[in-house]
Amino acid sequence: MLVKLAWRNLWRQKRRTILTASALALALILSLVMRCIQEGSYSANIENIARLSTGLIQLQHPEFKDSQSIDDLLSADPEFIDFARELSTVETILPRIESFALAASGDKSKGILVFGIDPLPEDIYSSLSKKVISGSYFSERQNKGDKPQVLIAEGLARQLGLQPGDELVLYGQGYRGQTAAGLFTIQGILHFPMPQLNNQLVYMSLQSAQYLYSTGDLVTSWVLHTDSLADVEQAASALKQYYQQGVNVRDWLDLSPDLAQQILMDRTSGLILMYLLYGIVGFGLFATLLMMTLERQREFAVMLATGLLRSKLLKLICIESAFIGLLGIIIGLLIAFPILIWLLFNPITLTGETAQLMLEMGYDPIIPVLLDPQLFINQIVVVLGLLVLCLIYPLLRLYKIDLVSALKGGAHAA
Amino acid sequence: MSIKLEQLCKTYNVDTDFPVHAVNHLDLEIKQGEFVAVMGPSGSGKTTLLNMLGGIDTPTSGKVLIDDNNILELHDKQLIAFRRDNIGFIFQDYSLLPVLTALENVEFVMQLQGHSEEECRKRATDLLIRVGLAEHLHKRPAKLSGGQQQRVAVARALAPSPKFVMADEPTANLDAKSTAELLDIMQQLNEQEGTTFIFSTHDPRVISRAKRVIVFEDGLKKEDTIQAESP
Ligand SMILES: Nc1ncnc2c1ncn2[C@@H]1O[C@H](COP(=O)(O)OP(=O)(O)OP(=O)(O)O)[C@@H](O)[C@H]1O
Ligand SMILES: [Mg+2]
Repeated sequence: MLVKLAWRNLWRQKRRTILTASALALALILSLVMRCIQEGSYSANIENIARLSTGLIQLQHPEFKDSQSIDDLLSADPEFIDFARELSTVETILPRIESFALAASGDKSKGILVFGIDPLPEDIYSSLSKKVISGSYFSERQNKGDKPQVLIAEGLARQLGLQPGDELVLYGQGYRGQTAAGLFTIQGILHFPMPQLNNQLVYMSLQSAQYLYSTGDLVTSWVLHTDSLADVEQAASALKQYYQQGVNVRDWLDLSPDLAQQILMDRTSGLILMYLLYGIVGFGLFATLLMMTLERQREFAVMLATGLLRSKLLKLICIESAFIGLLGIIIGLLIAFPILIWLLFNPITLTGETAQLMLEMGYDPIIPVLLDPQLFINQIVVVLGLLVLCLIYPLLRLYKIDLVSALKGGAHAA
Repeated sequence: MSIKLEQLCKTYNVDTDFPVHAVNHLDLEIKQGEFVAVMGPSGSGKTTLLNMLGGIDTPTSGKVLIDDNNILELHDKQLIAFRRDNIGFIFQDYSLLPVLTALENVEFVMQLQGHSEEECRKRATDLLIRVGLAEHLHKRPAKLSGGQQQRVAVARALAPSPKFVMADEPTANLDAKSTAELLDIMQQLNEQEGTTFIFSTHDPRVISRAKRVIVFEDGLKKEDTIQAESP
């Protein structure tokens, strides 16, 4: 009966109820779409940067993070990495050697970053071959006696005055203090949109790097990628559990702290905007709920006089408010869902410089949406929380309602 | 069952220089089955008296004894339960819940007592038929005339089988015909079920039908007379 009563009471002020619910719905739609786009673009960013350089998870020697030393290495044994391979959510596993060297050609030299990679799987993972602007990607077969091949970044090539086919000397420090030195042939030139990469990257095959640095069958890192971003946490903790102290398991947050920071700040400003929006709508909701209780003082007094318990009366108002909230949520979701589905299949396309930059990196210049149930649940929780917040004062007044003066019909009886 | 008032006082503005004694040291006893009219000029304290009789208002001093139990000693929850089971209210402006039909309005107060749905349905229907609203069971108050609404209110007041019904100027908004009809119904219920009616009024037509008339002035009982049965 209370529910029936509440439902009918809702429609006594049709326009007000619909208006309030619509305001809630609008706030929910705007926030939800904004959040889905935000989280979608973060995911895309993280995914892109992971593929471009760090991967989503890396396994490293415990000291490597701080030392960046070629002495702090991990095994490249298949057995060593078997556990990671067995994890169902881990989709890609790549061995790498990352270290420093001095590149010299003629009388010019420059400090560079060496990436020793497995050419085929690495290309599948990061589309490295698409970044070749002259020359070609690593050739699959090399004749014996040929000098090992390298791909060098465009900026570096310019500074050293190099072209495909030219030779390049690399010097550095190898494993356990050995001297690293080697002569390489430039197979191709790579273009990276980011200057810090474009000016110092040199790629070679893993074997060449292991030979150059005399690491034998060791690597500096294992680069892992999971099916989705959401799997990272679980995979990382499983890896930590398994490898214990022997391996430092680093997730993307640890690998790209700048990106993590940037996302955090952007997300925070998005959330502030969202709460501001809900704050404004909250005032409307509060006014409605307050009116709903104040204008019916006499009616409530009559109900109390005829035997309704105060607690039941409060319950009635809670149910009425919950109906408004639910109405807002339902309208909001009914409208937001098709919009999000549409955006999922027709993502917002970027134009201008950003788009150009993304195209150069080999990505579609789009802002994808992320349809994470958690985002939906969060919005619903916020709406319900808002409802509870707005209800406190009206309920308090109702609880203290004075029967006699309320019966006299004063709207200000409480 | 009887209601007894002992030295009942209700004083407003106690701490000021001009306290208002809405009810002033009143002794009164009303027995079950009575049909009492409280009359008096505006501001004489009728509403205040009825509210205290019904346990809605709390007196400044004195006792409200129901079968020798002082209802002022009940907790809020007990008092609501007591009111719900023993006292019915009829208001000048009918005060029906606008979103419920006549039938639902009557059922609602019975459900508060915890009766089953069928019980409520049956008794509510019976009562509404008795007050002559057989054809209007499913109409909402807005679709009923004032007289019809007040009859629904009577049915609602009687639905929980109360011992006492307090009616504060129940006929003030009604025309002569509706007033007569309403009084017929109340009188019938009083005679057949022994329900005690206590109503305040200015209306001479109502007073002429009452069995007992209490004249009230400035919070004081001026007269208390038993009238001969009207033919
Ligand atoms: N909340 C209050 N504060 C101060 N004085 C009050 C209050 N309520 C009632 N009074 C005073 O108490 C007295 C009795 O009021 P009450 O409403 O009982 O009169 P009444 O006989 O019902 O009048 P009416 O016939 O106009 O309904 C009046 O003098 C009124 O001014
Ligand atoms: Mg009055």
